[in-house]
Amino acid sequence: MRLPSGVVTVCAVVLNSGVGLAASPPSQQTQAASPQLPPGVSATLWRVSVPQGSEPTPERVALGEKLFRDKRLSVDNTVACMTCHEPELGFTDGKPLSEGVKQQKVARNSPTVLNALFNATQFWDGRAATLEDQAKLPILNPREMGMPDADTVMKKVRGIPEYVTDFQKVFGREPTFDDLATAIAAFERMQFSGDARFDKFIAGDSKALTASEKNGWALFNGKARCNSCHAGNAVSPLFSDQKFHNIGVAAHKQDFVTLARKGVQVVRAGDEKQIDELALNSEFSELGRFLVTRQENDVGSFKTPTLRNVGITGPYMHDGSLATLWDVMDHYNKGGVANPYLDGGMQRLGLTEPEIDDLVAFLFTLTDSKFDKLNKEQLAKQRARKNTRPERDTAIAMGKKGNLGDIAPNPDLAEKNPADLGFYGSVTPAPVIPAVKQR
Amino acid sequence: MNLRMKLLVVPCAALSFAGGVALATSPDAKAVPQAEPLPKHVLPASKDGNLVLGLCDGETSMEVPGVKDGQKLTRAQAITATAQLMGDWRKKNPNAKWDDVPGPVLAQASPPATKKSPAPAPQPAPGAKPAGSDVRPGGVGAQTGASAVPQQRKADVQTGHTYGAFSERDEQVWADSVQAAVKEGHRVFHDAEALGGTVGVSCDMCHPDAANTHPETYPKYQVQLGRVALLRDMINWCIENPVRGKPLADGDPRMRAMEAYIYAQRKGVKLEYGKH
Repeated sequence: MRLPSGVVTVCAVVLNSGVGLAASPPSQQTQAASPQLPPGVSATLWRVSVPQGSEPTPERVALGEKLFRDKRLSVDNTVACMTCHEPELGFTDGKPLSEGVKQQKVARNSPTVLNALFNATQFWDGRAATLEDQAKLPILNPREMGMPDADTVMKKVRGIPEYVTDFQKVFGREPTFDDLATAIAAFERMQFSGDARFDKFIAGDSKALTASEKNGWALFNGKARCNSCHAGNAVSPLFSDQKFHNIGVAAHKQDFVTLARKGVQVVRAGDEKQIDELALNSEFSELGRFLVTRQENDVGSFKTPTLRNVGITGPYMHDGSLATLWDVMDHYNKGGVANPYLDGGMQRLGLTEPEIDDLVAFLFTLTDSKFDKLNKEQLAKQRARKNTRPERDTAIAMGKKGNLGDIAPNPDLAEKNPADLGFYGSVTPAPVIPAVKQR
Repeated sequence: MNLRMKLLVVPCAALSFAGGVALATSPDAKAVPQAEPLPKHVLPASKDGNLVLGLCDGETSMEVPGVKDGQKLTRAQAITATAQLMGDWRKKNPNAKWDDVPGPVLAQASPPATKKSPAPAPQPAPGAKPAGSDVRPGGVGAQTGASAVPQQRKADVQTGHTYGAFSERDEQVWADSVQAAVKEGHRVFHDAEALGGTVGVSCDMCHPDAANTHPETYPKYQVQLGRVALLRDMINWCIENPVRGKPLADGDPRMRAMEAYIYAQRKGVKLEYGKH
């Protein structure tokens, strides 16, 4: 799509207002300010995802970054947001499970902040609606930054003179917990990321991907069925359906059936406070989305993460239990881990070793070019572990054992490439608003 | 069975046996019938070596004075020339059904029908509470009203399992994706270069705003093609003949986008396949 961005605006206006083109002269409609977005980041998604009035301003972003990096927000001055979301590591910590104050392990793998602004919900179980809500919880989580309550946080922040000045300058009042969250969220909203080799390929540069990577893209849309949850197109190029699925990760290291049965009983009997504590501080946190919705068919389900920058944001899954993307492929290839709440879309895939290699190669093309070096290192590191594959079960994947049904249609790529189906389209950058610059 | 019949039957049997063997043994043999080559619009040669343009009816043509064969028209020249061609055709066919050019219609222009979705959770008014004390009674999640998240963001309208639980956000993303395809189709439809044309003619010159493309009448018997055609067959006929480009593959993104655009322009028109 190489139309001038004015046409995008026209379409957007028509879509949003529901009136005909003739009825609304586009030049008189104003759009929410959005920064200049790189290819691979959708202006439409920006509009859908950034609430009106929450557009990041440079002042809020600067204060937000300062807070994001400040260990003084934790109870013993040892942990900042950045501790688990290290910008240099793609805003993750590279550990299977993150560590909070006093070296306490938390129950989750730290998800990347990159493109988190586009998530429909925040946290692995989607318990926060917005980045503002999200920013508060780790500060108050006893295993993360360990502050007892919001009042204590703000007492401490108001005791730091530079923050009193900063908040006064940005918000025109003394520091509040809400304003603190607003600033951190503003900083996080600038952490969008596209501009991957994949985007060059979609924009028409057929040489941007190798033959193996192109084959991986075809498998992604075809035999491997990745796109059934990791859906992506030009309007929503995140490769996530933003839904919650039980793929059996929580079932491979414990008696999940017993745990789930107990958990369901507790939730039926328990009150709000107890259930939230379960989500935080017990083995029941493995029940995932269920502890948020209390709907039994959400037991053990976690959010489909974005695949943007997936190469540099391992280890994988909500508990970081899969070290490499080869492990992830093995997990899906055998149809996940059986449990009564397994998502109905899980089945064996019958992928061969070369196909798995191609898929992994493709996934590494989704990393933003500014992380090229790290991406190469991570690929090399993961490849070196290729022969340590705890999740590999070729017999199940190939249908020689178990009863996980037929594999999905396996198209002859020479005749029909499933990646050609559908309309991905290419991304048009949004108009430039010079005041806000991407860091 | 007389001798004559035997003479006929035996070679036929032998042939069909051979055919069967060929089908059974050759992995390439597919039961896909091969299409005959399409008829071509043969244009009359110009005495002066001028460029001759053809119309999509497969019959009408005209010389463009002052432009030599092999030269490409400018967009302005092409618009003038195609307008004359269309005029000639309408003179020849005064009784042909002809739709006036419709105003631009955009796909998905009307908002999706309002569905009953859960009422949004009550939101605290900004500034209603004293600063820093927004911790509601209850657990940690209760601070953000975790259970209200689906309603707040309309993130999962049915709060059910994966399939069928789609949000307004999803629907907006979908509608915009379709719109993106339509927009790309609009671009290709109006761009002789994108179509791979060699004479500077683009689709919109005969079909402004995709007028008279009638996507709702396909599949139908197309006289120019001498067979039943899909919309994409007709698009390719036009690309090959008036536009003088190479036909696009079924999976070509430009073909798919143009189909999206052409259908979008006829949104709301009754489906009447086979109509002439």
